[in-house]
Amino acid sequence: MPQLNPEFFVSQLFWLAVFFIFLFVFLWRVSLPRIATVLEKRQNKIDENLSSAKELQEQAMEIEKKINDQINKAKLETDEKIKETINALQEDVSSQLSSLDIDLEKKVSDAEKEILKSKDDQMKNINNEIINITKLTVGKITDIELSDNELNKVIETHKGNFN
Amino acid sequence: MAAKDSPLKQFEIDPISNIELGGYDISFTNSSFAMLITVLVITLFLTLTVNTRSIIPSRMQLISELMYNFIAQLLSDTVGDNGKKYFPFVFSLFMFVLIGNMVGMIPYQFTFTSHIIVTFALAAVVFIGVTILGFINHGIKFFTFFYIPGVPFYMHPLLIPIEVISYLSRPISLSVRLFANMLAGHTLLKVFAGFVVSMPFFTGVFPLAFIVALTGLEILIAFLQAYVFAILTCLYINDAYHLH
Repeated sequence: MPQLNPEFFVSQLFWLAVFFIFLFVFLWRVSLPRIATVLEKRQNKIDENLSSAKELQEQAMEIEKKINDQINKAKLETDEKIKETINALQEDVSSQLSSLDIDLEKKVSDAEKEILKSKDDQMKNINNEIINITKLTVGKITDIELSDNELNKVIETHKGNFN
Repeated sequence: MAAKDSPLKQFEIDPISNIELGGYDISFTNSSFAMLITVLVITLFLTLTVNTRSIIPSRMQLISELMYNFIAQLLSDTVGDNGKKYFPFVFSLFMFVLIGNMVGMIPYQFTFTSHIIVTFALAAVVFIGVTILGFINHGIKFFTFFYIPGVPFYMHPLLIPIEVISYLSRPISLSVRLFANMLAGHTLLKVFAGFVVSMPFFTGVFPLAFIVALTGLEILIAFLQAYVFAILTCLYINDAYHLH
């Protein structure tokens, strides 16, 4: 087996030492720090992005909160407005209704008064008619002349029977 | 050593240029060349793909990052926060073994991880480093690592030698595991490649199909062995911090 031939042991060990030490120093000093910086840079970038994303999320949440507040405020305001309008309308309606009531009452009382007046007038006419008719019938039948005063007295005493 | 057509011929080392230093032969060989290719692939890939340092990575950059995260995760899972210091070492070890295995999968390329001396050297570095680390962290108390608490006292004369032996055999098991896997896989591929040539007529396609399937398996093993090497290193580092 050529592996056990000590002829080239020293040469192999020598070159192994040379190349391995070179490789080790080169990787240690040049290659690995480079890769490490790249990885670090990437990690930093990722962290940065994550933190900025968090910040943006917080801002978004704040904005959302503001919007909700404004919506609530607007809702309250509109509720208030609706209530106010309803109240105003109700007051308006009730005042109009009461003024209509007053008008109607007045009209009713006016009409009542007129009716009473016309009734009185009619009653007076009836009195006169009664007097005339009584005079005529009494005169034709008995020749007794009745005065207006006497007839009026009789009518007054029996007035309750007309109504 | 091996015959001309031996499946082991692929593991022979050929010097590319002869160099001598202080009386030692340190020739630049095909093994050294494979190591050079491996180191170049790793350094160039990990440097060029991350060159733009873009936050949104390209596919190639993503591969580098995935490897980085893979080993970082492995280390933090097994060792915890103490492990961060050893990340460059474990990462280098993982990449060196992984790409070394992968380079070996290229036809006609030499697999340096199939040489016990290489894997043993790597395992020995891990073993010695971890042992020193244990003594730094715990001082003389590190020897209590071999004392298993909660065991009847009369078992200790048996258990302590077993623990010591198992601790000392760590570099051997670590290195032989990688070496043997690579050796076996490549030898098997070569054996079946020999069948493709030697079988009559078109029947050679059967071993060829087998080689294709086996190549897939070998690539899996190449990754798996690098992973095992790295995770065992992590576990040994963990042992140096937490004695039992």
